[in-house]
Amino acid sequence: MPFDHPQLEPVPDIADALRREWRRLAAPGTWWTGPERVAIAAEARKARRATDDPPPVALPLPAREAARVIAGESHATSRTWVGSLMDAGLDHERYVELVGVVARLAAVDRLTTALGLGHEPLPDPEDGEPSRTPAEGTRIGRAWVPMPPGRSIVVALDHVPAETEAMTDLHGALYLTLDQMGDPLIRRELGRPQMELIASRVSLLNQCFY
Amino acid sequence: MLRASMEAHGWELHLAGIGDPAVDSGVPGGTTLLAFVDVTVGGAGPVDPIRRAVADAFGPAGLVRAAAVAANFEMMNRIADGTGMPVPNSTVRASADVIDALELGHLAVRHGVAVGDGPVDHPRGTR
Repeated sequence: MPFDHPQLEPVPDIADALRREWRRLAAPGTWWTGPERVAIAAEARKARRATDDPPPVALPLPAREAARVIAGESHATSRTWVGSLMDAGLDHERYVELVGVVARLAAVDRLTTALGLGHEPLPDPEDGEPSRTPAEGTRIGRAWVPMPPGRSIVVALDHVPAETEAMTDLHGALYLTLDQMGDPLIRRELGRPQMELIASRVSLLNQCFY
Repeated sequence: MLRASMEAHGWELHLAGIGDPAVDSGVPGGTTLLAFVDVTVGGAGPVDPIRRAVADAFGPAGLVRAAAVAANFEMMNRIADGTGMPVPNSTVRASADVIDALELGHLAVRHGVAVGDGPVDHPRGTR
């Protein structure tokens, strides 16, 4: 069983969430197959010099570049760069799903390495076809990818709704559920000020202006 | 939310402490937590001693939560940057002192965000 580490036992919900994420990673997504999603993860880890797992399938070049940049230097992204990926053959749907996969992998890897657990081996991909379920109500606006109207980060991946659901699930396990977000006095092993201090410092180190 | 949660607890926040670990942020245990982030995210030194320090200060579950929160923002930072999530003007206005205290003006410029009385709600950078 993945993520079967005694160090995670003090907060058991987290190991459960990591296992759900591993199952999602291995399964067919909305626009990428299971092998392609695992290949995206392998490329992302390679960019962070974390591991050098052989990808189960070859990815298109723009997808490899996107995985590398989002994993290793996401602060360097730009509208022009995203546009260049589209010109090279990627589309917004596959790009948004890739961002979600790489971002959640970064979270999983940070958690395990911070606790001294190393990198969990990537899951064996599952066969099957992507659902190819189109989003509704998203459009290109001020962001670099189509989104619904709204100003919260929780809609950032809405062009691929399954990615929003995955982000929300992991966010709720690692940090706070969306319902808990408005409570400045909430405590989950740490107090809210302590959690927010960590959040601020991580974002500062990552040069994330948002 | 850092400021709001500090106010809700009746504690005084020293913004400079977010950017400079030598300055006390006012968050109880904050110096240890910042060192944990700097080592685990920033690679600023050996991990084992600071991991023990966090566990001593907050318990084993506190250590897991500290790592989990850091992990969550590794995710959210990449989503924000990868999608070009616009920074709401209200956030920029409300955070002007934070931007100043942490010397984030260069990031604001890079992302095409106006701070203060300038144009607002610009798209992020077009580098």
